[in-house]
Amino acid sequence: MKNEVRRRLLYGGPQRPFYAVKRNSSLGKRRRRGGVKSRSFEKRGQHPGTRGRQAEARLATRLVRAPAMLKCGMGGSQVKVFGKAIQALSRVSDELWLDPSEKGLALRSVNSCRSAYGCVLFSPVFFQQYQWSTSVKMNDNDTISNLNCKLGMKSILPIFKCLNSLERNVESCKIFTRSDKCKVVIQFFCRHGIKRTHNVCFQESQPLQVIFEKSTCSNTLMIQPRVLAEAIVLFTSSQEEVTLAVTPFNVCIKSSNEESMDLTSSVHSEMFVGPDEFDFFQIGVDTEITFCFKELKGMLIFSEATHAPISIHFDFPGKPMALSIDDMLLEANFILATLADEPSRASSPQSLCLSQKRKRSDLIRSNSKAGKNVTSKALEHISRKAAPKRLCPNETLTDISALENCGSPPLKRVSGDVGEVPASSVRRAEEVLASPCLRKARFYNAGSPSTLSRG
Amino acid sequence: MKFRAKIVDAACLNHFTRVSNMIAKLAKTCTLRISPDKLNFILSDKLASGGVSMWCELEQENFFSEFQMEGISAANNEIYLELTSENLSRALKTAQNARALKIKLTNKHYPCLTVSIELLSVSSSSRIVTHDIPVKVIPRRLWKDLQEPTVPDSDIIEANLNGELNLKIETELVCVTTHFKDLGNPPLASENASQARNPEQMAEVHIDIRKLLQFLAGQQANPTKAVCNIVNNKIVHFDLLHEDVSLQYFIPALS
Repeated sequence: MKNEVRRRLLYGGPQRPFYAVKRNSSLGKRRRRGGVKSRSFEKRGQHPGTRGRQAEARLATRLVRAPAMLKCGMGGSQVKVFGKAIQALSRVSDELWLDPSEKGLALRSVNSCRSAYGCVLFSPVFFQQYQWSTSVKMNDNDTISNLNCKLGMKSILPIFKCLNSLERNVESCKIFTRSDKCKVVIQFFCRHGIKRTHNVCFQESQPLQVIFEKSTCSNTLMIQPRVLAEAIVLFTSSQEEVTLAVTPFNVCIKSSNEESMDLTSSVHSEMFVGPDEFDFFQIGVDTEITFCFKELKGMLIFSEATHAPISIHFDFPGKPMALSIDDMLLEANFILATLADEPSRASSPQSLCLSQKRKRSDLIRSNSKAGKNVTSKALEHISRKAAPKRLCPNETLTDISALENCGSPPLKRVSGDVGEVPASSVRRAEEVLASPCLRKARFYNAGSPSTLSRG
Repeated sequence: MKFRAKIVDAACLNHFTRVSNMIAKLAKTCTLRISPDKLNFILSDKLASGGVSMWCELEQENFFSEFQMEGISAANNEIYLELTSENLSRALKTAQNARALKIKLTNKHYPCLTVSIELLSVSSSSRIVTHDIPVKVIPRRLWKDLQEPTVPDSDIIEANLNGELNLKIETELVCVTTHFKDLGNPPLASENASQARNPEQMAEVHIDIRKLLQFLAGQQANPTKAVCNIVNNKIVHFDLLHEDVSLQYFIPALS
């Protein structure tokens, strides 16, 4: 290790070592020294407890027969689609779940106020190779648990940032997990023999899943993404909400504005689209739904990559709507809450504002009383108890009724800090390690602490 | 008060969009004055814009295929509206390939200028886009502040009667002068002034360069004719003529 350092100084080249050659050997060395985690604890000035870590690691191997794992590989052109999915989901929230199953790899995201949920499911045929397994534990009566992997969007989004250059340079990409270290490894095999590796720590957390019956919606529209993109141009980026109004004769997308009397209020725009512009047009009930613009834009970003038409399923105001893309290789669903109809909607603008404000304060009070427990099963949809003015996450809004989790054990909703976790002591230790401060994408780091600090 | 206008010609529409983009770059909020034969974009809020004022005039016949207006009263057959110029230019941006564009004054909870665009879409069914731009109607009593500025008799120094213009900047370290020669001098309105002037004598004025830059940067197309009038140490007046739109811009001298 020291020799490496001296050599680098002589060359006067970049501070970081050239990873392609050194990486594997140094990994071996690192492992013998107790793993990267201990070093980063040193870096943060905490007591590493290397011996203790090794002991726990040994304990882990005794208890867990085989950890849940994911291993998949994709070609260069799929990387762009994968990256676009992540970018679209980043509009929903700051956290992403990787959820492999026999149906394929699902990327899920739910926003903090539970008014939006996104899920992109890549079927096994999307990948060049796809392997996954659940874990079987000796304790806990042989419960089977999936890979419960939650990543911070801040860690993973930069990896898939410049998709155009990725598309040009990357020949293949491998993603696999190392459950013993709570890490997801993303490797890009690029042209000219360059190999880029990213390690992202994940947090143990069961994904949330929303069940939404699209077939029971009375209104379904299918439209080419280009048409929607043209509609989006009408609105400024400061526009928070848009309204979709449908009748059997036409569809209107319009900006949804507060009523105000001055010059600074923004332009109200609307666009009418005739039924023949839709690939599929079924309107069962005339309705107007209002939802968050940001998530619609997120969905559009993704649809540009897939060139498949977007389906919109919705009913009456208040009931969530679904934006989905169904392709042979993947299925994307964005479920968004919609603004519920106010009984006083027919009255003049001022009284509308007042009644909504009152409702919102009621909602906040009831939220503080109720916990954040979400345990009831048999969920049909995200519904909203009241109708606050704004849907978007920067205001405290909805109260979720329930969200059903993927696996059978009771749902644990892990918040930003370390959440509660299932029983075993091993798992708890790993939880502490995978706390948010560690969730940083790191280049595969071959160095001693001195190298780290220099880099 | 009523106002309805329609543009069907693509070239006229592009030209109008360009004018509105130019206005948006020069003034954040401006006044639109509608009269039977002209449209004016006026900026005369001297305090807010740092002394700069602007007057832009369009002959409505050159743009609109249909134009109807009814002012406040028969005697004062004009409408003055205050609006955010960027709203108009953004609304017009979506009208790139429009079949027709209609503008009218409406009242939807508050007065609006409604821009209604009929777009031709690929599937040959037309799509209608509407933008409601909020406006404020300026009351009659404030109209006198918004009249066409009279151009004072100019002394031309630093640009002189021989057709020379010098642009000079001075900083602590450096002084740069750009000399333009062989420019034309438009005939002066009053004969007396011209007789009293020595052709070689230069008129000069110190202005804030940022304002000059903002003005020049806002130009979307090359004007067919540009006149620069300078009142010694008082004000500089630019008069640009693009085909059928005239734009006058006044920049006061730094005190």
